[in-house]
Amino acid sequence: MFRIHTLRQLTSVLILSVIVLAACGPAATPQVIVQTQVVSQVVTATPEPEATTAPKPSGKITVWCWKAAQDTIVNPGVVADFNAEYPDIQVEFVTYNPGDIYQKLPLALTAGTGAPDVSCVEDSHLAQFVDLGGLTDLSDRVQPYVDQMNSYKWIAGQKDGKYYSVPWDSGPVVTYYRRDVFKAAELPDDPDSVSAAVATWDKYLETCQTIKEKTGSNCFPNNKANNDGRLYEMALWQQGLGYYADNGDITVDSPENVATLQKLGEFWEADLVSDQQSWTDGWYADFSTLEKPVASFVEAAWMGVFYKTWIAPGTAGKWGVALMPAMKDGQVRAANDGGSGFVIPDQSQNKEAAWAFGEFVSMRKNSQNKMFAYGDFFPALETAYDDPLYIEPDSFFGGQVTRKVYVDVVKEIPTAHIYGPRYADMNKFVSTAIQKFATGEMSAEDALKEAADGIRSNQ
Amino acid sequence: MTGTTTIAQSLPVTEKPRRTLWREIVKSRWPYFFISPFYILFAIFSLYPVLFSIYLSFTEWKGLGPIKFVGLKNYSLLFKDSVFWDSMVNGVMLFFIYVPLQTLLALVLAVVLNSKRVRGFQLFRTLIFIPNITNMVAAGITFRLLMNQENGLFNILLGMVGIPPVPWLENVWAARISLGLLIIWAWLGWNMVIMLAGLQTIPGELTEAALIDGASHSQAFFFVTVPLMRQVILFALVLSTMGTFSLFTEPLVLTNGGPMRATTTPIMAIFGQAFSNFRFGYASALSYVYFAIIFVLTLIQVRLGGRREA
Repeated sequence: MFRIHTLRQLTSVLILSVIVLAACGPAATPQVIVQTQVVSQVVTATPEPEATTAPKPSGKITVWCWKAAQDTIVNPGVVADFNAEYPDIQVEFVTYNPGDIYQKLPLALTAGTGAPDVSCVEDSHLAQFVDLGGLTDLSDRVQPYVDQMNSYKWIAGQKDGKYYSVPWDSGPVVTYYRRDVFKAAELPDDPDSVSAAVATWDKYLETCQTIKEKTGSNCFPNNKANNDGRLYEMALWQQGLGYYADNGDITVDSPENVATLQKLGEFWEADLVSDQQSWTDGWYADFSTLEKPVASFVEAAWMGVFYKTWIAPGTAGKWGVALMPAMKDGQVRAANDGGSGFVIPDQSQNKEAAWAFGEFVSMRKNSQNKMFAYGDFFPALETAYDDPLYIEPDSFFGGQVTRKVYVDVVKEIPTAHIYGPRYADMNKFVSTAIQKFATGEMSAEDALKEAADGIRSNQ
Repeated sequence: MTGTTTIAQSLPVTEKPRRTLWREIVKSRWPYFFISPFYILFAIFSLYPVLFSIYLSFTEWKGLGPIKFVGLKNYSLLFKDSVFWDSMVNGVMLFFIYVPLQTLLALVLAVVLNSKRVRGFQLFRTLIFIPNITNMVAAGITFRLLMNQENGLFNILLGMVGIPPVPWLENVWAARISLGLLIIWAWLGWNMVIMLAGLQTIPGELTEAALIDGASHSQAFFFVTVPLMRQVILFALVLSTMGTFSLFTEPLVLTNGGPMRATTTPIMAIFGQAFSNFRFGYASALSYVYFAIIFVLTLIQVRLGGRREA
C-alpha cells in the first residue's frame, strides 16, 4: 500500500487524479458537416380547395435527413407539390449522415431541446428511439393508413400498442447480377434463368463456381475482417429467424442461426468472395468495373439507385434483377434490408405541420411513386403499387420490368426479430462473431455462442 | 506568572492557520473573483458530471424517463463484461506496441535537436510537432486511405519494391500496429517537446565532462543524459499510459474499433454503452472502475520510476 505522509504528497495525489480525470474526459468527436438548404419558397399559386374547414397548418419545419433521402424527396418535386397544398409551411432540410443522426437525435431527445420537427430514421435504429421515448404518439393519425402499408413496417415503430413512426420505404431484397458476367460464363442471362440458377444458396454457390472458372469473377463482395453482418441478417430474415424470439429470449446462437452462418461460410471456403469492405472505394469498384466485376450482389431495392447514380453509372444496361436464393428448395425467397421512415419528436413546436409533411410524403400514392421513379426507394404504401410505373421497363437493368419484382418480393417478406430496440449493439456483437468465423479464428458455433453470451450479459 | 504567559503566547499560534486560510481568501477576493469563470465552469462541466455519475453508477437510466436505483448491479455486471475487459487488454497491448518506441524516439530526437550542431533546430522542432496540431479526423481518414489494402499508397509503394500487400487494417495485430503508427505520428512531436524542455535544464558541462573522460556518445547518452532525465521521462510515460487507455478519436476514425474489436479502447467501450446503447448508469459504473484502474496504474508507475536511487 502507498502511505501518504505529507500534505505535499496528498496534493500531488490530488493533482494526479485531476489529470487522470481530465484524461478520462471526452476527446474531440468528429465534426459534423451541416448543410442547410431552404428548399421551399412560399408558393403563390392558389391552393387546391380542401374539404375540411379546419385551418391549415403553417410555419417552418426542420427536417433531418441524409443526402440520398433528401434528394429523393426534393428533386422529383414532392416538396413543391406539398407546398402547392400547404403554401404556408416552409420545409428546411438539414443534411446529416445516418450515423450522425443516431448520435444527435438521442442527445436532443434526452436534452429536451434541439430536435428537429421531423427526422428520417432507418428501421434498424427506429425501435431504439421508440424505446428511448421523446417521440410523438401518432396512433390516431396513422390509423387510417395501417392497413395500406407493408405490415412488417409498423413493428419497429410500435411500443405498447402505440405507433410512433411514419413508414416510408421498404427494402425488399433481390439478387442484382451482371448480365455481361453471366454471358461471358456462357450462362443464360435473362432474369428468369438467373433466378433459377440462384434458386437456393447451394445452387448459387455452384453457379458462382462455374462463373469463377470461366471468367475469374467473384460471386459477391463480403469482407472478412470488417464484416458488417448485413448479408447474414438478410439470410436470417428470409427464414423468419433473428436475434431474439417473440418472448425476447436471445436466439443469436440457435442451431438455425449457426447453420445459416455456416452456409454463407461455404462461399468463403470455395474462394468465391471478394474481400472488399462495404462502402469503400474497392467495394464500389467491384460493381463499377468492366473487367472482372463481381457477378452478383444480394441487396435491397434501394441499392438500385446507388448503382445508377454514383456507384456504377457507367454500367447501365449490364445489370439484371433476380430473386434472392432460398435457404432450402421451395422456401421463402424474400427478405428485408434497411428501409426507413420519419419520426416526429415530442418537443416539436409544430406537430401539425410535421405530420402534414410526413403524411404527404409517405401516405400519398403520387408522392411515393414520384420518389420511387426518381430514386428506387420502394414504397411501403401498398396502394401505390397499382400504377403504370410498375410495368415500365428500366433501361439500367437491360429493359427489365424490375419494379414488379419488388412488389412480388415485398408481399413475401416474413416477420423476423432483427430490428429490435438493441439492434445496434446486437449487430456489433454478431458482426464481430462473423469476423472471427470468417478469418478462421473460431467456429461458427463458438463465435455465435460468444456473441450471444456477450449480448445476454449486457442487459 | 511565567507559565501563564507561555500559554497565552502559544494560544494564538495554534489558532493561526485556520484563520489565515479564510483571511487569505477574503484578502484576495478580487483576484478570486476575476478567475471565477474557471472554477464556475469547472464546477458545472467537470465537477458536477463527475459527482452525478457516482450516483448514476448505482442506477439504470436511458437518458430519458425515470432513473431506477439498482444498487451494485452495474458493478457486479461489469465483471462479466467481455467487451470492456477486452478493451482494457487492447489498451495494454497498444501501450507495449507504441509507448516504449515513441518515448525512445522522442528522447533521441530531443537529444539530437538539443545538440548545437543541428542547424535549423526550430524548423525541425516545428515540423515534428505539426502532426500534433493537425485535426485527428482528417489525419485518421488520410491514414485509412493510405493503409487501404488494395488501393492504398503504402501498399502501392511496397509493391514497387516487390513486397506483397500488407493487410494494414484487415488483421487483428496489423490493425493494432497501424493504430500505433498513427499515434506515434501524431504524438511524437509532443513527447519530444517535453523531452527538449527537460534537456534544457541539464547543464551541457556534464555530458562534455563524460566525453572528455573518454565516454562514447552513446555511453554519455545512456549513463548521463537518461538518468538525469528520469523525472521527465516518467512524466511523459505517465501521460502516455493514461493517453493510451483513453484513446478515442484515433481508433474511431482509423478502424472504428475493429477488426474483431481489437482496437476498441476502454473509452470507446464506455462511450458505446452510454451514447449508442443509452445505458448511462452502466457506463458511469464502467467509468469509475476504469478511473480506479488507471489511478492505481499511475501510482505504480510513479512509485517505480520516482525512486531517487534505483
